[in-house]
Amino acid sequence: MTEIRAEEETSTISKTFLIKPKLKSKPRTLPQTPESKYWSSFKSTRVPNLVSSISSLSFSPSPPHPFAAAYSASVSLFSPLSLSDGDVSPSSTISSFSDVVSSLSFRSDGLLLAASDLSGLVQVFDVKTRTPLRRLRSHTRPVRFVKYPVLDKLHLLSGGDDAVVKFWDVAGENVVLDLMGHKDYVRCADCSPVSSDLFVTGSYDHTVKVWDVRVENSTSILEVNHGKPVEDVIYLPSGGLIATAGGNSVKIWDLIGGGKIVHSMESHNKTVTSICVGRTRKENCGDESMEDRILSVGLDGYMKVFDYGNMKVTHSMRFPAPLMSVSFSPDCKTRVIGTSNGIIFAGRRKGKENGESGGRGNVLGFESISEPERRVLRPTYFRYFHRGQSEKPAEGDYLVMRNKIKLAEHDKLLKKFRHKDALVSVLSKNNRENVVAVMEELVTRKKLLKCVSNLDTDELGLLLMFLSKNATMPRYSSLLMGLTKKVIETRAEDIRSSDALKGQIRNLKRSIEEELRIQHSLQEIQGIISPLLRIAGRR
Amino acid sequence: MMMRGGRSLVSSPPAFSNDASKLLVCTSNTVSVFSTATGFQITSLEGHTALVTSVLVVPPSSPAAKVLCYCWTASLDGTIRYWDFSVPELLKTIEIRVPIFSMVIPSFLDVPAEDKGKHEDLFAYVFIKDTKETQDKSKALRRQIRKCNLSKSCLVGRLILGETKKLEVLTVSPSGKFFGICNKFKLHIWKVPDQGSEHAAVRKITLHHTKKITVITFHPTQRIIAAGDVTGRILTWRGFGNRAFAGSNGIENQKLINVQEDKPGVRDNDDADSCSTWHWHSAEVNVLSFSSDGTYLYSGGKEGVLVVWQLDTGKKKFLPRIGSPLLYFIDSPDPTLSSISCADNQIHLLKMPSMGILKTISGIKAPCCYPVKYEGWGNGIAFDQTAGLVALRTENYCIQFYSLFDDRGISEVQVCERNHQPGDDVTVIVTAVALSIDGSLMSTSEVKLAEEGIGGLVCLKFWQARSQNKEFSLSTIVYEPHRDAGISAVTFHPSCNMVVSSSFGGDFKVWRCNSDISQNDQMRQNFSWTCHAVGSYKKKPMTAAVFSADGSVLAVAAETLITLWNPYKNVLLAVLGETLTPIVNLSFIGKSDNVVAASCGSNPQLSVWSMSKLSLSWSYKLRIEAVASALDLSSFAALALLPESSNETPFKGRDGVILLYNATDPVPTAIWSVRKAKGGALGFLQVNPSSVEEISIDGQGKQYGYASIYGELPELDKKRPETPWVPSFPSERPWETIFSGSSHNLPPLTKLCSAFLESLLEKRAAAVE
Repeated sequence: MTEIRAEEETSTISKTFLIKPKLKSKPRTLPQTPESKYWSSFKSTRVPNLVSSISSLSFSPSPPHPFAAAYSASVSLFSPLSLSDGDVSPSSTISSFSDVVSSLSFRSDGLLLAASDLSGLVQVFDVKTRTPLRRLRSHTRPVRFVKYPVLDKLHLLSGGDDAVVKFWDVAGENVVLDLMGHKDYVRCADCSPVSSDLFVTGSYDHTVKVWDVRVENSTSILEVNHGKPVEDVIYLPSGGLIATAGGNSVKIWDLIGGGKIVHSMESHNKTVTSICVGRTRKENCGDESMEDRILSVGLDGYMKVFDYGNMKVTHSMRFPAPLMSVSFSPDCKTRVIGTSNGIIFAGRRKGKENGESGGRGNVLGFESISEPERRVLRPTYFRYFHRGQSEKPAEGDYLVMRNKIKLAEHDKLLKKFRHKDALVSVLSKNNRENVVAVMEELVTRKKLLKCVSNLDTDELGLLLMFLSKNATMPRYSSLLMGLTKKVIETRAEDIRSSDALKGQIRNLKRSIEEELRIQHSLQEIQGIISPLLRIAGRR
Repeated sequence: MMMRGGRSLVSSPPAFSNDASKLLVCTSNTVSVFSTATGFQITSLEGHTALVTSVLVVPPSSPAAKVLCYCWTASLDGTIRYWDFSVPELLKTIEIRVPIFSMVIPSFLDVPAEDKGKHEDLFAYVFIKDTKETQDKSKALRRQIRKCNLSKSCLVGRLILGETKKLEVLTVSPSGKFFGICNKFKLHIWKVPDQGSEHAAVRKITLHHTKKITVITFHPTQRIIAAGDVTGRILTWRGFGNRAFAGSNGIENQKLINVQEDKPGVRDNDDADSCSTWHWHSAEVNVLSFSSDGTYLYSGGKEGVLVVWQLDTGKKKFLPRIGSPLLYFIDSPDPTLSSISCADNQIHLLKMPSMGILKTISGIKAPCCYPVKYEGWGNGIAFDQTAGLVALRTENYCIQFYSLFDDRGISEVQVCERNHQPGDDVTVIVTAVALSIDGSLMSTSEVKLAEEGIGGLVCLKFWQARSQNKEFSLSTIVYEPHRDAGISAVTFHPSCNMVVSSSFGGDFKVWRCNSDISQNDQMRQNFSWTCHAVGSYKKKPMTAAVFSADGSVLAVAAETLITLWNPYKNVLLAVLGETLTPIVNLSFIGKSDNVVAASCGSNPQLSVWSMSKLSLSWSYKLRIEAVASALDLSSFAALALLPESSNETPFKGRDGVILLYNATDPVPTAIWSVRKAKGGALGFLQVNPSSVEEISIDGQGKQYGYASIYGELPELDKKRPETPWVPSFPSERPWETIFSGSSHNLPPLTKLCSAFLESLLEKRAAAVE
């Protein structure tokens, strides 16, 4: 019943969150994003000629994080530092195995290494001396995985084709618990990063079971159905989520929420063989803060980086062979991938931290250095109120446009106190009202006569032309007649020296004579009419 | 009764209360408390007997104590007082007995709160003028800085910190560690000694400059002092007093002296690390203040522009067009609020980051100083008799409406559209303002001064009020109403929409209003004023015009003659004449058939003419500044200037009298003496239908008349800067006590009315006898 429910959920949720497999290879478009830059920055080194398929890769938890690779019937230890120097030979090799080595696991202090082989034997080696310290024999069929708990140095976990998961007391070489429940080969397991008692196993019977060693009757406390034979299972660093790989999908489950599926990533084209947790730089936060990613490798030769926060594949990388195993070093410097034809692709990233913490020891890669403290703006500061004022409008924002008053040329010049330029500009525009308005403004600024005395010959010509046309207009005459008089007084010499100006003056004279004639005749008429009016008024 | 008002709001820096909801403003003898939310006066602290010079709010010792409202005030009457201004209540008075010009209390600002258990003494530093007689006459330095123990109410010992020739304002640093004054080319800084050490020597440093320093301010956190000088430069000394104030540690001193070589910009051997100069202001810097976080510096001066300097980069931001020289900038405890005090008797409350003006607390504005030619064309003051408002011409081409009863500015109407920049040459003058009886219509005239004889322009403008709060809108402009001649008077008809403008050009015009009511969605009246009639009498300049109370007669003064006209038909009725010198003021006396005329010149005269007999009833030889008559009484009041020679004992320094006459009787019924009568105005105000009140405004006239009121020019301080409009009347009036007190403390007028009327009736009976 539970199985069916899980199936339904899978289908419904995968409908909602479906990420379609990307058929086109991504790297061509992606190198721009900072994340793919990060993943491409792992400088790849090939470790060739390791006879056969690399069944397991494991990093030592202690710096400088050497890693062990299991291939055929031997285990080789590599130092990532020497790898980056181009030295691809293993630093040491353990070959005291009678059959193909299936799985490797370092103890949390990095001093011991457990290895299982297909003969059903689990051995514990001292990493330095490479001598087998304990031989744990109880499995009747090939052992597929062995795992040291994260927080526990005394016990081991193993399982294999006999469908039994065994919990060992390493020192006494005896089985503490036989956990039975899987109906097919048990292929993988992982121990909880937050509790020494919890672990999870995955099996070819499509199920993933969560176990608690404290539960007495040795039954699983939770079970989820992946839907395909489970190839690999890992705890995500929070301890509340697990990721399972099986078929060509990687699924993420919420254990705390009772085993609900969170997401299904189906971007591999063939079976996913191995997954591990990788870390990347957080976007726009500098080097210090890191985000977790799931690295998955498959038989299709792709390594995919999956951001389970945003539920999308952020990077993918192609290798020229089916991939069997992947591992990521705790200091985030090295990423190793093993192929089915005996090649290890070891990528090492150069970083600034390299020199500082590289070989020296106690810096754990996971430790995040606190950000430099920024001065917090408080409302008592003046700048608090200025925050965000230089913000550019975003795309969707509605912009309130300010009505701009359009100023004419002469207004602009007046605003800049360029009085003469304003006068010349308005005179050349040929608009009577504007000219008179500018002149009136200049009078209130007491600058009109100064302007007149500063005009050069051409500009004076303009002014005189304007005056000769308009000086007799009754509306403006009170201002313009006075101005005309002043202009002729002050600029008499300039006018005398220029023929063009003399012409203007002649025009002016003519119009004034005309005006005088009109005034004269008007007065005559007034003289005729006023006695008549007087008489009319008397009646 | 007597009411005073129109005091200066900007004689001393104001202070914010701790929650920034109140603003304490020194207003002559009192401290007025204004609400920053509404801009209205809440209450006032009354008790000082002379000008209050400093007000300091006690800061809260804990955030919970923010609601407490205590303040210290210092005054020229030689007392320091302690108030609870929420009640308001006087808690304590300290007698110093010498005038205090400035006071600071540095320990207020010291951060560690005094624990109540061991009660520390509170010290203030006061700037006083020592009035005690000294045997050493040659010693002119009698202005001293003294330390005062406020807890024990005494001046400390014989400790004189410094003496200067001139009065300066003490400035204290926001950290409470230093205080300083500027003294000509120097500025002195004292370090406040630690608490408890009463006689410890106060250490002092001096910084030098080549120009006269006008203002200083201290940085809130760092050892930075900024000073402004008369040329508009702002100097910033950093790290002042490293040597002198470095503490008792000798080794440290040594070290500091060793690194003294490189001190860019520091003059002589002054005790500062560096000195830098900014120059933007074109004239004297009056305002300097650091923002509360110390990253910005505010400065302002005569230009009326508030400049915000970013201290690190020197970048500037501006708040332009304040329109008046800035005097003080005060930050409030609320970072979004601050205030600037302007020389035009206004306090603007600014919304801080954007520097927008939120509210304006405006006092009565000083009149503008006009070229001599345009002085004495009437005083340009109009009264709105029903609403109790007075309309005044102000410097920025505005008409300010000031409520006499509320003692605050109501609104301003910009008469001509020009930007006013303090210090500009005056080229446009508002010459006259008139209001209709109901206050809904206004008429103004303005003159644009000609530039060497060209381009002068006279404008007559008619305005109508939109709403109750005196928002006037322009309805008609008449250019050159009397050709190029100036307008001598504008008067409204008491009942219908009619205006008379008289000009020096020898004619008067009657303007009538055609109101066409356009009925688009709402009733909107559109007034347009047109000339209805023109009149002249023998081409004589018309110098005054007035309507009779019922509007049936128009009297126009043609120099020395009074011509009476029928305003509707424009027919000359009679001519009364003649006086010795041109008449400048004309008024009908209520319902009686008398007209009063005041003439000025070499032979000033106050004359009352009877219209029924067309002859002179009686006259006095008096210099009359203003005449006012009530509409429905048979009495009138005149403001007379006293002759220079008679300035003797009965009028102690008072240069004017208000005379209340009955029209038929040449013996005045009442006399009050006033100060600064030159340029004053009189008006009768209707308080309610049966009581009449008299208000006079004075102290205008000469250019410095108002300046001294507002204390702009320190050398005139002897003239008692707190002049109110109407100084105390001789107390023979029985009703004076009824109304004494400020208007908002009075019982309602309906209650007072009967008592007032009774006393009035008694008085009149006596006058008739």
